[in-house]
Amino acid sequence: MRIQIIGFGVIGQGLAEVLLRKREELKQRHALDIEVVSITDISGTAYAEGGLDLEKALQVAKRTRAIVNYPGALEMRGVEAIGEIDADLVVEATPSNIKTGEPGLSHMLAAFKAGKHVVTSNKGPLALRYRDLVTEAARHNVEFRFEASVGGAMPVINMARETLSGDRVTAIEGILNGTTNYILSRMTREGTSFEHVLKEAQELGYAETDPTYDIEGIDTASKLVILANAIMGIDVTFGDVETRGITRITPEAIRLAKDRGYVIKLIGEVKNNHIEVSPRLIPETHPLNVDGALNVAMLHCDVAGEVTVVGKGAGAIETQSAILSDIIAIWKKRGRR
Amino acid sequence: MGRGRKAVVIDMRVSLDLELKDTPGQLLLALEPISKYGGNVISIIHLREEEKLRAGRVPVHFTLDVADEASLERIIKELEKSGVRVAKVGEATKKETITLLLVGHVVDTDLRDTIDRINALKGVMVSDLSLAMPHPEKESSAIVDIEVSQGVDKRMVMDRVYSIAKEKDLEIIRSLEV
Repeated sequence: MRIQIIGFGVIGQGLAEVLLRKREELKQRHALDIEVVSITDISGTAYAEGGLDLEKALQVAKRTRAIVNYPGALEMRGVEAIGEIDADLVVEATPSNIKTGEPGLSHMLAAFKAGKHVVTSNKGPLALRYRDLVTEAARHNVEFRFEASVGGAMPVINMARETLSGDRVTAIEGILNGTTNYILSRMTREGTSFEHVLKEAQELGYAETDPTYDIEGIDTASKLVILANAIMGIDVTFGDVETRGITRITPEAIRLAKDRGYVIKLIGEVKNNHIEVSPRLIPETHPLNVDGALNVAMLHCDVAGEVTVVGKGAGAIETQSAILSDIIAIWKKRGRR
Repeated sequence: MGRGRKAVVIDMRVSLDLELKDTPGQLLLALEPISKYGGNVISIIHLREEEKLRAGRVPVHFTLDVADEASLERIIKELEKSGVRVAKVGEATKKETITLLLVGHVVDTDLRDTIDRINALKGVMVSDLSLAMPHPEKESSAIVDIEVSQGVDKRMVMDRVYSIAKEKDLEIIRSLEV
């Protein structure tokens, strides 16, 4: 199977690493031989007809932060690379943009148009234009999968749509952002202030320099929109979510909650056609009370009852579990073009 | 039960968790006081799977309607006299509690007024409140229980709470089930 990687940051490089590690295993277990025919980042495109040397590509990217330094690389942009290079599948792994969805949105649409399947970890385009993207993929008769866009390694979309395919999911609640869960967990354990824990989290690299996306609930809201669309079939976009973050949570609030047997968690909830992100009181014994940077999702199903899944919500390598499972699923369903 | 006898004005629905000895006649023993004081049994659930946890006693969950607190107390007293352990008594469905955390200048924005305005809703009452004030200038927090009678729309209660919160710039953190 010929694949193109668009976006060669943490996620794109993580995929290259895992493909190197699992090349033989994928052949043996799934009869899947993956050739990465091109890698594109903001600097250009590395391309090799018989498949790139992933070790070399990783070296170049880590050393120079620009894939254009790969021997023979072209100054070719993503949309062009998708349109011109022959491949079966595009892995779209550019940074998420919740304002315009770009450049991911254009990459995905270009891939559909070129008759290529798409696997992505990119939330922005999905949170803004879910319906359009799904419709376009169907119109061009290609597969479009995005397990990695929500909850990293935590399988939730495919679990709901495939394993629980006989159920109707009536409500979803979850912790979909590891950074805020880490901050709240530490505030709870140590009784320290939000500002203090945030600063430490930034120093340790657990929180971004600009943490707005995480702490204001924007990241959670994007993921919730994807779950509402993909699992419950509700036609909502990012702008429909009532969103509040965790910036006003104080150690005293956490202590009062604790005295009554509750913890405070940033919860995304879709229920009764209402979609909301806000800090909530969760009973300490509740399955949604997971600690540290973990993610969790609880699906309320009409046959199975409640199903809860917990997993690592981020990580360069962990997220590849979702991307690989999507690639393998497409391979099994469609084979080579 | 309760049919064909003198009509009892039912005021409360309650749940009773009883623990019965695993010998014949125990259920009847439990039913007698309920019947005697006009209780109307809505449901009885044997929790057999929990039996092992309770050293041979069988937990049974009753839901019943009673006329008032006084008759409930008489029923409980009589049950205990006859050797039935009453593990838990609760109002079953007639009242629900909404638990909320308020963060902000809870006191300075007139806490009394906040409570009064919630209590002004029919069938709604603030039943418990704990306060934490780290420093007079800093934001304080309060955890509040609001009792809501059956039939009162909880969304309406929350709408009132959110409108007060908006006006007073308070952050509301509500429990998951609300």
